Amino acid sequence: MGYLFDPDNWEWLVTSNNAEFLLEGFLVNVQIATIALVCSLIAGLALALARLSRNKALRFVVGIWVDVWRNLPLLFVILYLAIGLPISWREAYENAAPEFLPDVLQSGRVFAALLALVLYNSAVLAEIMRAGIQSLDRGQNEAAVALGLSYWQRMRIVILPQGLRRMLPATVSQLITLNKDTTLVFIIGIQEVVRHGRILTGFNFFGGVPAPLLQVFIFIGLMFVVTNLALSRLSRRLEIREQKRTGMTVKPVSGLEDQVTTVQAR
Amino acid sequence: MRWRWLAAIGLASGVLVAAGCGDDDKKSASGKTATTEARTFAAGTTMAKLKDEGEIAIGVKFDVPPFGFKNPKTRAVEGFDVDVGKAVADELGVKPKYIEAVSDNRLPFLKDGTADLILSTMTINAERDEEIDFSEPYFIARGRILVKESDTSIKGIEDLAGKDVCTALGSTYEETLKKQAPKAKRRLVDTYSECLELIQNGAVDAISTDDVILTGHIIQDDSLKLVGDPLTTEPYGAGIKEGDTAFQAFVSEVVKKFKDDGRWAASYEKWVGRYTGEDQKPPTMTLQEAIDLSK
Amino acid sequence: MSSWFELLTDNFDALASGFWVTLRLVGASFAVAVVVGTLVAALRIAPSVWLQRLGGVYVETFRNVPLFILLIIAYSGLRRAGVPIGPWTAGIASLGLYTAAYVAEVLRSGVFAVSRGQIEASLSLGFGYPQTLRRIVLPQAVRTVISPLGSLTIAMIKNSAIVGAALAINDLVKEARIIGSRTFETDAAFFWAAVGYLLLTVAATVAFRQLERRYAISR
Repeated sequence: MGYLFDPDNWEWLVTSNNAEFLLEGFLVNVQIATIALVCSLIAGLALALARLSRNKALRFVVGIWVDVWRNLPLLFVILYLAIGLPISWREAYENAAPEFLPDVLQSGRVFAALLALVLYNSAVLAEIMRAGIQSLDRGQNEAAVALGLSYWQRMRIVILPQGLRRMLPATVSQLITLNKDTTLVFIIGIQEVVRHGRILTGFNFFGGVPAPLLQVFIFIGLMFVVTNLALSRLSRRLEIREQKRTGMTVKPVSGLEDQVTTVQAR
Repeated sequence: MRWRWLAAIGLASGVLVAAGCGDDDKKSASGKTATTEARTFAAGTTMAKLKDEGEIAIGVKFDVPPFGFKNPKTRAVEGFDVDVGKAVADELGVKPKYIEAVSDNRLPFLKDGTADLILSTMTINAERDEEIDFSEPYFIARGRILVKESDTSIKGIEDLAGKDVCTALGSTYEETLKKQAPKAKRRLVDTYSECLELIQNGAVDAISTDDVILTGHIIQDDSLKLVGDPLTTEPYGAGIKEGDTAFQAFVSEVVKKFKDDGRWAASYEKWVGRYTGEDQKPPTMTLQEAIDLSK
Repeated sequence: MSSWFELLTDNFDALASGFWVTLRLVGASFAVAVVVGTLVAALRIAPSVWLQRLGGVYVETFRNVPLFILLIIAYSGLRRAGVPIGPWTAGIASLGLYTAAYVAEVLRSGVFAVSRGQIEASLSLGFGYPQTLRRIVLPQAVRTVISPLGSLTIAMIKNSAIVGAALAINDLVKEARIIGSRTFETDAAFFWAAVGYLLLTVAATVAFRQLERRYAISR
């Protein structure tokens, strides 16, 4: 226990720009999570609509696709895509990546990481969105049809705004999981917080203050806990607000790690 | 109402992404600007393409002093491998961009073009030669075993039976250990810094890899020592994409110049000799000899 | 394609060994997760506010920290502090304790699904609080949580890959990478590893669906 709280072991935090080095790494994680979330939302919506379509074959195929990506370990997918992605795709990404993105995010390997994260999270979000849309009262859809709205008009004006708003709390919860999953991209060499942490602990080459591993990683863990706690508070508030508005809670989608379940005491 | 939320999220993401922009200077590696020697190259060769692009992507190690490591204070990548890489870049008249190539990524990065050149403590051997091409050897390392200073039970490879030995995934030592110490328990990790961590916290009894990498460990932690006779000879070569004979010849030429004009000796003294106290001459082994050695 | 089968037969031992390592890891962690999760859930629904808060802290910490960071702290961190913890212990403890936080939440909502009236009735009949828990509440709560537990098991199977990477244990992913770096046939190696993982997840899904059919109450 003494080792844990010994102030000598925490000295590295205030020397040179060690803390900044770790925060920079953490920023990379957050950026990757944000980009992945935005892309997953778009892809997830497309998948959800496909799952709800009247075309049985489409429903079946998309169903299999979603099941496959939800059942493979993310680490595995990241590793495979890093090795197996064709060069041309990677070059296309490097050329297309906007200039204002920091260097770290412009490398082609980040594309593999983003793709893996999007493949997985779009599948999960697709299920979330599907649950949200299906939770709407049937009457809404029927009334829209009766009013003569086309499929796209119905979606745009009636179904999606209500259904998706219901899923906002679950989506924010998914962002928490996504945030945690970004730590896995270290394995393909992306310079994010885990790599920075390792570099910091390995570094007695130039002397200076030794940064012990336990403390460095506790600090990294704290960064995540603080960020994720904030997100989960946000999610809970959104859920309560939605409940007050419509009096309905959506049934939690099965298989999600970070469902913020507001427990109703009867 | 929903639009307001979406706008807020969009704005937040934009701010986050923009916040990362200021890191550009820190993140990119320090590379010397091109020397005044402006060579031109035959059109269609890799050299000409790189010269057009203005930079060369070189895969090095970021956590293996003294050959390739990232200094967390200056954010610069330094080491013996890095010096060789700088020589190639200078000869081309381009800026070097250093990316991290851990043992397991070295060949895939060359094959898929992530890296134009690999200088990552990579041993030349026959199997690898079938997948990529090598330059002439630029350094000869020997395989050794590293244990804790206080450990008297391990004196050589024979004593590794039943012990936990750490080495990196994708290195030649996976096979070497299987052949020479079949009863040892191999623990494979992604990077050698993880091995250092494991031996320091007592999770493994020994690390087995190139002596220069192990020397880098000893420099960081002098409670470690090398034991036993050298296990293997490991000639390092620069990795080049398979079939690119023009570029291979070019890099070999740069390596030869590096050895002949004294830069090799200077780098050696700066990165290795200063710590080991040993003296070495630039290697005279040829590529073919190196390949034959591994057969 | 035939070379893919060749790779399987040539390396079957290694792949099978990785498969068993993953299976053992998940099995042991599952046991830990259920036991610890139940204890934490009991804390969360205890009558004392302090016990509830304690349970709350556990859940919030383990749900918000990435598993990889937890593993590093548990293994390297503790060893540095002098605790001689082995890789298997660290891995099973981390994965188990991490999942336990989710198990606790699932159990808690399961308990709340049992109508309050039953708890009050039981208490007024003279049953003590622990007895009420044991005989009335938990048996019903457990039945509602079978499906979520199934999803958590699948999550554990996926998370086991992280454990292997952090602790230098040779699980299925690691074996695939070893074979890949030796034979350079990474596509094939990863294909068979994917098959292995899908086998595990499908088996878990089917098993839990069977359990649900037999025992679950849907509310």
